[in-house]
Amino acid sequence: MHRAEYVAKRIVFAVMTVFVAITINFLLFRALPGSAVTNFARAPHASPELRATLTHEFGLDQPAWKQYVLYLNQLVFHANMGISFADNQPVTSELAGRLKNTIGMVFVGTFLSIVIGIITGFLSAWRRGGAVDHVSTSSAIVFYALPTQFIGMMLIFLFASVLPTAGMRNDVNAFFSGGGTWSNLKDIGLHMILPALTLALTLFGEYTLVVRSAMLETLGEDYVLTARAKGLPQRRIVVSHALRNAMLPIATLVALSLGFIVAGAILVEIVFSWPGIGQAVYEAVATRDYPMLQGAFLVLTLSVVFFNFIADLVYFKLDPRITE
Amino acid sequence: MGTRAGRVALCVAIAIVAAGCSGGSSGQSAGSGGHLIIGTTSNIDTLNPFVTFQQNSYAAFEYIYPQLVQYNDDVSNFVPDFASSWKTSSDGLTWTFDTAPNATWSDGQPLTAKDAAFTFNTILKYGNGPAGNLIGGLANVTKVQAPDDNTLVVTYKVPAANVLPELQGISILPQHVWAQYATGDGKGLRTFPNEPENGQPLVSGGPFELAQYKKDEVAIFQRNPDFYGPKPSIDGFGLQYFSSDDAMVSALRSGQIQSAINIPPTAMNTLKGDSSLTVYDGPGMQFRDFIINSSPYKTQNLELQDPRVRMAMEYAIDRNSIVQTAWLGYAKPGSTILPPATGIWHDPNIQPLPYDINKANAILDAAGYKRGPDGTRIANGHPMDYTVLFAKDESGAGDTAFQIIQNGFKQIGINITQRKEDNDAVNTAILGDNNTYNTFDLAMWDWYPCCPVPDFILSVVLCSQYGSWSDTGFCDKQYDKMYETQGVTRNQDARVKIVYAMQKLLYDARPYIVLSNDDQLNAWSTGWDGFVESSLGLFNNLSKASLTQVHQA
Repeated sequence: MHRAEYVAKRIVFAVMTVFVAITINFLLFRALPGSAVTNFARAPHASPELRATLTHEFGLDQPAWKQYVLYLNQLVFHANMGISFADNQPVTSELAGRLKNTIGMVFVGTFLSIVIGIITGFLSAWRRGGAVDHVSTSSAIVFYALPTQFIGMMLIFLFASVLPTAGMRNDVNAFFSGGGTWSNLKDIGLHMILPALTLALTLFGEYTLVVRSAMLETLGEDYVLTARAKGLPQRRIVVSHALRNAMLPIATLVALSLGFIVAGAILVEIVFSWPGIGQAVYEAVATRDYPMLQGAFLVLTLSVVFFNFIADLVYFKLDPRITE
Repeated sequence: MGTRAGRVALCVAIAIVAAGCSGGSSGQSAGSGGHLIIGTTSNIDTLNPFVTFQQNSYAAFEYIYPQLVQYNDDVSNFVPDFASSWKTSSDGLTWTFDTAPNATWSDGQPLTAKDAAFTFNTILKYGNGPAGNLIGGLANVTKVQAPDDNTLVVTYKVPAANVLPELQGISILPQHVWAQYATGDGKGLRTFPNEPENGQPLVSGGPFELAQYKKDEVAIFQRNPDFYGPKPSIDGFGLQYFSSDDAMVSALRSGQIQSAINIPPTAMNTLKGDSSLTVYDGPGMQFRDFIINSSPYKTQNLELQDPRVRMAMEYAIDRNSIVQTAWLGYAKPGSTILPPATGIWHDPNIQPLPYDINKANAILDAAGYKRGPDGTRIANGHPMDYTVLFAKDESGAGDTAFQIIQNGFKQIGINITQRKEDNDAVNTAILGDNNTYNTFDLAMWDWYPCCPVPDFILSVVLCSQYGSWSDTGFCDKQYDKMYETQGVTRNQDARVKIVYAMQKLLYDARPYIVLSNDDQLNAWSTGWDGFVESSLGLFNNLSKASLTQVHQA
């Protein structure tokens, strides 16, 4: 199979996946019992007319297939995800802002987890059976097993007096006391520590375990034995021969988890009131805001599909056997 | 590429740590009055008055927009706001308001009675469409005019008894901003975001201007120097949204925020032990209810329509246990659908039945509901097993309350199972086929009677509310007639009597067994003083007093 053919196949597959996901996203929320209008009409003084107005405004008085065609048409040809039921504002711009907030925090958290995971996994494999291995493997398992929100709450209880525990920045103090770009950046950085750390602690265990097992596997290979027999220094054997060949599963894991980081941060964002896409999903689920849910799920789908696609390409690059 | 991106991220991470760890802010600012942050777990969904449904949005409007009148501090009467005085014609059909002279909006444009007339007329014009969520406040209004800049005349088709409470809830909008949207089909009224733009505050006419708004993050209010009424002591305040109440409580304790509303009962004991905080625990507006389907269209389990079964059920509900176990003592046993927080409208003579299993069993025995082999009573040939629709809103304390009720019912031979669904699904299940309420048996939910007036909450059980506000299927012509009469009874004592009679009728019929009334739980740093507390909390839409009076201690 040629390289171009391989890539083309992966692209077609990715596009198909996105299309199916869009359709399921559309159907899923409408299949639930209940109606989106109820929530927005359940307020003091709401009149029966309001219900009718909202149903019409939300387009929910149209047959489902028509709503679907309209949605698809707007989405594909106008990049328009619709208007949020909750505040009547365009979903696309709302999600763009949310995504930006999420990516910054999640990137730092995931990056930290990858660094910690690779280092601890590498050390565990290198010093297999020793104290380092025991400590890093068992802490990896413990953090891997703990629920995200539990780790988040523990960090809040521990650090509430020294670190900000909610939001992305202290807008109120900045507004009344002023402050330049640097203090604004510093403020965002401080607000990011606990959520990013929570994410890092939640994720690093997986990396530790995968890196450790991949390393152990390669360390047992004949070519490592050969390298030893040649009298190469231990450092060079581990770094150049073992680690390099262990990169395949690690790269896959990194690419796959990058796809899930946007979705995986929902709990972290709720615990730390981080105004990202996860929090938007949470609010939208609670209020049955269909356009917002469809938009957010689409973004999550795209991120997973995109990084899976990247993983495929990385595979292709790292392991030429794939096209054979 | 991966490596380079990694380096950048590492630098960011290091910079963050190097930036150091500093504690929470003290809320001090450059101005003289300082500023404070109020934490909340309920967001401002939108700043568009034609779209919003959130209590905090209405509270925000109270501080950034004029209203004709406002409640006094103990919420027993009305005092001037934008209207300095008012009078009623002898037939009760015409209300004339004198509005504040020489007032301006925050952008310098004149703020006059004409803005009020514009707002009211816009709501009347689009009441069946885009202004549907505000039209209730102008029920029975036929005409609104501003003969001059300082006079507003509102004409009613009946001598309405609830004019001031209803008008208090309507914010007056700047005509020069909104007029362009009040044309054609009025759709623009609902799509205009009404947010601060280009660094300019929202055009405001209240004691504060809205300077910044980020949905699900923060809303920042700064003092409006042009306000027609008493100026605030503080420079401004921020309303910060928390998606987790534990995080909000931690932020309050660590000084990151200076006050918090909607505090969960589970945090109260900790906060009470914190000497740096003042904790408020007062009667709240919200109540929790157990619904028994009262629809005449119901076809199955008709024994639930039997008043004796309903009475036995109430005897088997241990309200004190619900208050103590589910609400940790931060609630009060309920009785009628007008909670004590509604003041004169709550009928204190209605006392809930005591928890008495023997009495409940005796009633059911006498009514002929015999026990089957497994102890469950038999009614109309089938065991008394019922499903309770349980709205997601009630999760947490409500789950415990359900278990307590379930246990009580078991002892009287009635089995109930919980069916927990999201609010919309529960609502759909309650409405039944073609809004006839013909299928469900029991449900658990809550009500938030919006304001210390009886009109709204008494209306939810009207026959006309089928398919809309009714969640009981209750329909009683006599009750509907009483509702109509109280609405035009201008003598307050006479009106109170009718409202009491309506509560008694409802209590005896038991479409609702009111389980408990929530407490209003707020806390703030001892560094601040002067909040005006109410059944709706220290940040509310009853009056402008709380945040104009608050100051550093």
